[in-house]
Amino acid sequence: MNRIIRWFAMTMIIIWVVAPFIPLWLWSFSLRWRFPNLLPEVWSPRAWLYLLKPSSGVLDATIDSLVIAVVVTVVSVAIAIPAGRALGLYRFRGKRFMEFLILAPTIIPGLASVFGVHGLFLRYHLANSLVGVILVHLISSVTYATMVMWGVFSNYNPEFEEQGRVLGANPIRNFRYVTWPAIFPGIVVAALFSFLLSWYQYLLTLIIGGGKVQTLAMLLFNFARSGDRPVAGALSIIFMIPALIVLFVTSRYLTGENAAVSGLGGGR
Amino acid sequence: MKASMYLWWARFYSKGKVWILLSPALILVVFLFLGGLGFGIAESLNYMPIIGLNDPNFDAYRAIFSDKGFYKSLLLTLHVAITPTLLSVACALAFGLVLRQSFRGKKVFTFLFSFNLPIPHVVGAIGILFLFSQSGFFARIGHALGWMDMPAEFPIIVNDPWAIGIIIEYVWKETPFIGVIVLAILQSIGEDYEAVAQTLGANRWQRFRYVLLPLVLPGVLIVSVAVMAFFFGDFVIPAILGQTYPAVLAVEAVKDYTHYDLRNHPIGVAQALVIAAIGTVLVFLYMWLNRKFVRSDG
Amino acid sequence: MTHLVLNELSQTYSNTDKPALDRLNLDIKSGMLNALLGPSGCGKTTAMKMIAGILTPTSGDILFDGKSVLAIPAERRGAVMVFQNYLLFPYMSVGENVGFGLKMARMNKATIEKKVLEMLELVQLPGVQNRKPSQLSGGQQQRIALARALIVEPKVLLLDEPLSNLDAHLRDEMRELIRDIQRKMGITTVFVTHDQEEAVMLADKIALIFEGVLQQYDEPDVFYNQPGSLRAAKFFGGVNFLDGEYAANQMTTELGTFSAPRSSLDTGPGVLSIRPEDIEFGTTNDGDNTISARVNSHVYVGTYTKYKIDVNDFRFEVIAEANTKESFPDGSNVTIRFPADKIWILPKG
Repeated sequence: MNRIIRWFAMTMIIIWVVAPFIPLWLWSFSLRWRFPNLLPEVWSPRAWLYLLKPSSGVLDATIDSLVIAVVVTVVSVAIAIPAGRALGLYRFRGKRFMEFLILAPTIIPGLASVFGVHGLFLRYHLANSLVGVILVHLISSVTYATMVMWGVFSNYNPEFEEQGRVLGANPIRNFRYVTWPAIFPGIVVAALFSFLLSWYQYLLTLIIGGGKVQTLAMLLFNFARSGDRPVAGALSIIFMIPALIVLFVTSRYLTGENAAVSGLGGGR
Repeated sequence: MKASMYLWWARFYSKGKVWILLSPALILVVFLFLGGLGFGIAESLNYMPIIGLNDPNFDAYRAIFSDKGFYKSLLLTLHVAITPTLLSVACALAFGLVLRQSFRGKKVFTFLFSFNLPIPHVVGAIGILFLFSQSGFFARIGHALGWMDMPAEFPIIVNDPWAIGIIIEYVWKETPFIGVIVLAILQSIGEDYEAVAQTLGANRWQRFRYVLLPLVLPGVLIVSVAVMAFFFGDFVIPAILGQTYPAVLAVEAVKDYTHYDLRNHPIGVAQALVIAAIGTVLVFLYMWLNRKFVRSDG
Repeated sequence: MTHLVLNELSQTYSNTDKPALDRLNLDIKSGMLNALLGPSGCGKTTAMKMIAGILTPTSGDILFDGKSVLAIPAERRGAVMVFQNYLLFPYMSVGENVGFGLKMARMNKATIEKKVLEMLELVQLPGVQNRKPSQLSGGQQQRIALARALIVEPKVLLLDEPLSNLDAHLRDEMRELIRDIQRKMGITTVFVTHDQEEAVMLADKIALIFEGVLQQYDEPDVFYNQPGSLRAAKFFGGVNFLDGEYAANQMTTELGTFSAPRSSLDTGPGVLSIRPEDIEFGTTNDGDNTISARVNSHVYVGTYTKYKIDVNDFRFEVIAEANTKESFPDGSNVTIRFPADKIWILPKG
């Protein structure tokens, strides 16, 4: 009985993981694939070649996506480390409220604030610019990165730092040699998290970028609705590359649970 | 001089270190998040002194609440938020219970199970579209098996009124996420609580109902709330896999906000705020119901 | 009242070849309080889990009143286990915890409530039923865990290290409580411990287990007076050992020949053992079994003084009561006597 359930569950897992990706690959290499054929009638690298052409805008969009995501990641982690430390290590008056404030963006959808942010940015000439998009991506990235660092610092013993100070380390060296190694796995998770959140962001980029900032996520969304299945399939695969890198990194350098946490960023 | 400066800084830091540490994150949240929210509220009330709108009014909200389409959208949105959350939790519990047993290949399957955690929702949506559309992969398999001739015979799963396509995508994506959390919780609980219950006479079902579930649910509650809040405000997946009308609230809000007629603008903003308000209420309601369920004697 | 028999009980975990428990035979009389004693990892908890039914033995049998219970799942076996860390369900009140077993048996609420109050009375914690487990101290949690087990009137009560998580003064209280309740209810009880003192003070009979193998199953005092092996003697605090050759009630060693009528072997190579408190101090070297020695060091421990005594290259520990008038400074020459009736000859190795 147990065995049958297990077999069923394992089969489900395989289908779960594999099924959605099969048609993506097949479509990306097809030129013509009509119903009811199980495989494409005419195979072709057309979609892939098209994506490589400068006129498709994929290269520019990739660069924009990368620049935005990298800046968002660095800034998020830099903000999240002290914030996570404050929430994880110390008790203070108003802590409950601060927790609520910093976590609010995870419960209240980005949609609620993005229109207002757009209005604000229009007035300060930040709308339709890369900087504006980066700023608006930071809201959710900082929130999630702070959550990760908060968890890290909740299990962190600051007495190691005191020991370091007593042994003669100045604050900078102390951070470098005592704090940093202890929180590094958490930082990796927070960074991967922030990067993916930004890389996948569609709606905020659409509203704040106003069409002037074209990221890969926006291109993919447009192709998904355009009906050009081969291109949508191929672009999907390109779009997933960071996720695959994340999977690789997390499975190699982090424990399973951390890998799970870092995946949380996916698709948000 | 230097010593006194140091002393000053040390005192200042020890008094206010928490606020120094929190300030960058706070500035961001206050200015961008709360600022955006506040500006949005003003906009939705048609209160924008800078362009001469000095008299706030509730026109936008009145327009929303008097529109029948809004209620259809709201029902759809509730369905699209709640149904996949419950389904994902149920699937995650089932997978968690299987994967916590020890068997050969457990490691591989646990990795596979967590495989789609970092995969983006959009790609999942495109995959679901290719699989479940009427001329999609499953329809073709159905044809090959002789179950159907024409694409039209395949059930409408994508862009359908019951949002089945959206729900499939959400469950596909979030089950592993909740499941991994369930697994982590199960691991930290261990098997001893169940052993205690068993020696006290609890059968399989009773051990699940009275021991495992109450131990797992608080953790699951937190993640599933986050998941549900995301479903409630999501735009991308309903835009790809949902029907055109009525669409979920987020899609309607974006439609109105980006409408060429700027008079629809405040309506879009107001809708987004209504989504946020309802979503928040929903989250608290869900937490309350779950707590009640956990504590009940059944 | 259940007569518990373990018959060639073995457990081999799949990841090792060495059995965690190797052919354990025990015959535990009905209503006895029994200890499974041994260092951590010796297989005693494994044995307990198998009796409870949480773990299925690789081979062997478990009999309650002569009937095999292997085919009976834990929930119907009637052997209740109290875990070392109590494992009170944190989301339930204390009362719900205690009543858990009766609820599982679908007893009606009023009966459960009444029984719960009785049990709380029994473990001397009346009135805590509405609290949460986290509001109780460790000792109180232990009592609740005990009440939760007793309420189902188990055939066999299993206690995993029942005293190890408690402070010294709570231990005495808890020990008495367990003893009293066990006597009153007459439940066949098995408890696991790594602490020989605990076993000695609480148990009617002790099963000493090393590395999955039963060494000795006896009344507590036997382990002090007539341990079966050098290892058993050492585990029970024996420190003074001397190799030699045993024949005709005489033990011949490097330090001379001692008369020793008590022995676990007839003849051949053996080990002379004597407990530190049994060695007698003196200054004259004329009696039998007496040798010259030198005080190396001593520690005053309040009620007694502990001496380290050197005889040639050998060192002995001697415990002298504090009220002994004489005291011996470090470095002084003394004589020590091994009373013949206190020597116990062990098999070698």
